[in-house]
Amino acid sequence: MRVRFRIWRQDNARVKGGFRDYEVDGLNEDMSLLEALDHLNEQLVLRDEKVVAFEYDCREGICGQCGVFVNGRAHGPHANMTTCQLHLRSFADGDTITIEPWRAAAFPVIKDLIVDRSAFDRIIRQGGYISAKTGTAPEANAIPVGKEVADRAMDAAACIGCGACVATCKNSSAALFTAAKINHLNTLPQGKPEQHRRVSDMVQQMEEEGFGHCSFTGACEVECPEGISVANIAEMNARYLKAKLFG
Amino acid sequence: MSLFLRKWMVALTGLFLCIFLVVHLSANCILLLPEAVARGMYNAYSTLLRESPLIKVVAYALYLSIILHVVFALLVTIRNRRAKPTPYAVNHHGENSQWAAQNMGLIGIFILVFIVVHLANFWARIKLGMGEGVGLDAQGYVDVYAVTSSLFHNPYYVAFYSLLMIPLGFHLHHGLKSSLKTLGFYHRSGLRVLARVSLFYALIMSVGFGVIPIIVYFK
Repeated sequence: MRVRFRIWRQDNARVKGGFRDYEVDGLNEDMSLLEALDHLNEQLVLRDEKVVAFEYDCREGICGQCGVFVNGRAHGPHANMTTCQLHLRSFADGDTITIEPWRAAAFPVIKDLIVDRSAFDRIIRQGGYISAKTGTAPEANAIPVGKEVADRAMDAAACIGCGACVATCKNSSAALFTAAKINHLNTLPQGKPEQHRRVSDMVQQMEEEGFGHCSFTGACEVECPEGISVANIAEMNARYLKAKLFG
Repeated sequence: MSLFLRKWMVALTGLFLCIFLVVHLSANCILLLPEAVARGMYNAYSTLLRESPLIKVVAYALYLSIILHVVFALLVTIRNRRAKPTPYAVNHHGENSQWAAQNMGLIGIFILVFIVVHLANFWARIKLGMGEGVGLDAQGYVDVYAVTSSLFHNPYYVAFYSLLMIPLGFHLHHGLKSSLKTLGFYHRSGLRVLARVSLFYALIMSVGFGVIPIIVYFK
């Protein structure tokens, strides 16, 4: 299988970047996209050229490290999937595959396809945790949690922080990420004591990081590898209002 | 100013305008009655509106809502543009979201142009007394019906009016459901109902406002 990669190359955030085309042969359709990029990088090393920088860790769709814009979609052409789970069988022989880094003012490019997502870490630092000392693992049923509540919390907790929501959003809004982190903890009894401070502080940080507004286009829900619902954003809005009125 | 305040202002003013449109469309339905009945009813209704002190307050709230909706939408757009300074070379957002949701600002510009022309033709002439004078009908009411009827017999105006009700429909479809979510309505099955209600509301408004001038034209 042969494809033409059209890849964004940029040395760092201070210099301008641009696309470069690479013809890559000797691929097969069972390779993941990241393996195809590995294959390209091996050829670049042999040619004494700079390799394409891209991020990954588990390559199992769990960690949220990989994430690039492939042919006009976050994580590629399929809904609810990470980049590492995208295989060349999703493309035809001879296709051009355009790969760009996540685009957002809050996610500056570090190099080529790698962006700095530490804005997410700073949002988490404002309340994406429970401050009580937990000691050793407590008895699981010490605090009863209903099945529906546990399920809703788990649905939100599934967020892997990949940044696809910000990447695909026309406004680079981080509302889905922030909402998932807030709702995960605020839904559970353990998160209740700090619920108002959590939503206020995390939303405040989201704003300071320069993310845009949520327009409820729903694109983030489609591109989110975990399929986290945009209803979470509406829930965050309600929680924020409640925190401001009663917090 | 917080992200939330800006969006809440757009949502609250938008919802108020949504309610106003229902009242406006109900009044427009009078135009579908036979002319002899419609003229009297329409003129009596518009006189009632102009003379009611309550409606005067509502009218100022309406002007303010239109202005604030545009101003805050502009502030939202400026922030959003800054948040995404570099566009993607290839972007297939049509595969993950609706066109209207992605282009509310553009659609809003069409609606704003419509509102300006609409106000110049009706409001400026009847309320401010600008342009050609408006006569009285047999009951002594200001003959607003004559102004409406003559405009709805102008094919260019009818085409302009009816065509611009299409972007209005798209704007209302996304705007109604989105504004309620912005204000914190998150009930899961309620959101599915809301999506259907928004579609129904947008269709009624768009088709209702769009078809009435065409019917009056051919009457």
